[in-house]
Amino acid sequence: MKTNEPSNHDEALRKVLKEWRTDASLPPRFQEGVWRRIARVQAPAAPPVWAVIAHWIGTVLPRPALAATYLATLLAIGVTVGWAQGHQQTARVKDELSQRYVRVLDPYLAPRQ
Amino acid sequence: MKRGGFILVLGLLVAAAAYACVYLACTSSARSLQRSDKPELAWLKAEFNLSDAEFKRVSDLHVAYLPQCREMCQQIDAQNVQLKKLLAEAPNVTPQIDAALAESARLRTECQRMMLRHFFQVSQTMPPEQGRRYLAWVKEKAFLPDYGMPKE
Repeated sequence: MKTNEPSNHDEALRKVLKEWRTDASLPPRFQEGVWRRIARVQAPAAPPVWAVIAHWIGTVLPRPALAATYLATLLAIGVTVGWAQGHQQTARVKDELSQRYVRVLDPYLAPRQ
Repeated sequence: MKRGGFILVLGLLVAAAAYACVYLACTSSARSLQRSDKPELAWLKAEFNLSDAEFKRVSDLHVAYLPQCREMCQQIDAQNVQLKKLLAEAPNVTPQIDAALAESARLRTECQRMMLRHFFQVSQTMPPEQGRRYLAWVKEKAFLPDYGMPKE
């Protein structure tokens, strides 16, 4: 008795579904959208950026060629930036002193006490 | 990871050390100029490659010139006060304002003559080539058409 019940129930449901009619139309490309959402949910989540960086530091950076390139690049950056800023600062100080020389000698520009 | 982290930090330290060394080396001359007693004269010595003897002569001329410059400053300030007072009171150009303007112009001419005399004296204590370069530079700085005006 118990085993027949679901079958009867399915039968009744099937009948209702067969008779069911709807006038509502599906939005355009509905099916494609559904599949796209399913694919998105099933796709494995991308690892976080810090994990990628940590992995790169742990596995790729210690390679001798890459480590040497990395150190040489940072050395070159340090030297270049130091040189550029040093020259800029020296030029600024010299310009300031040259103006000061003229100001000291010119009564119209000389600082008043 | 441990080795990679070490290399990462080492790279940053190398960059910082390289920056500091090169920056300090490049600015050492500027710092030594700023540390001297009279930085503007120290700059003059470095800029025009003066020997110690030449620098001493230039410094002596400079020291002798400064009291004249101070005296001129006082005259200019007094004249400016006088002119400002006259301009504040007068509704029109009066003979007194005329006289004050003429005196201001005379002071400016006198001031420029005094400076020029000093510049020639300084240039003559330098080696000829440096003296010419000094004169060209100082004339441009002190006698520009846009005298006292900031450049755009």
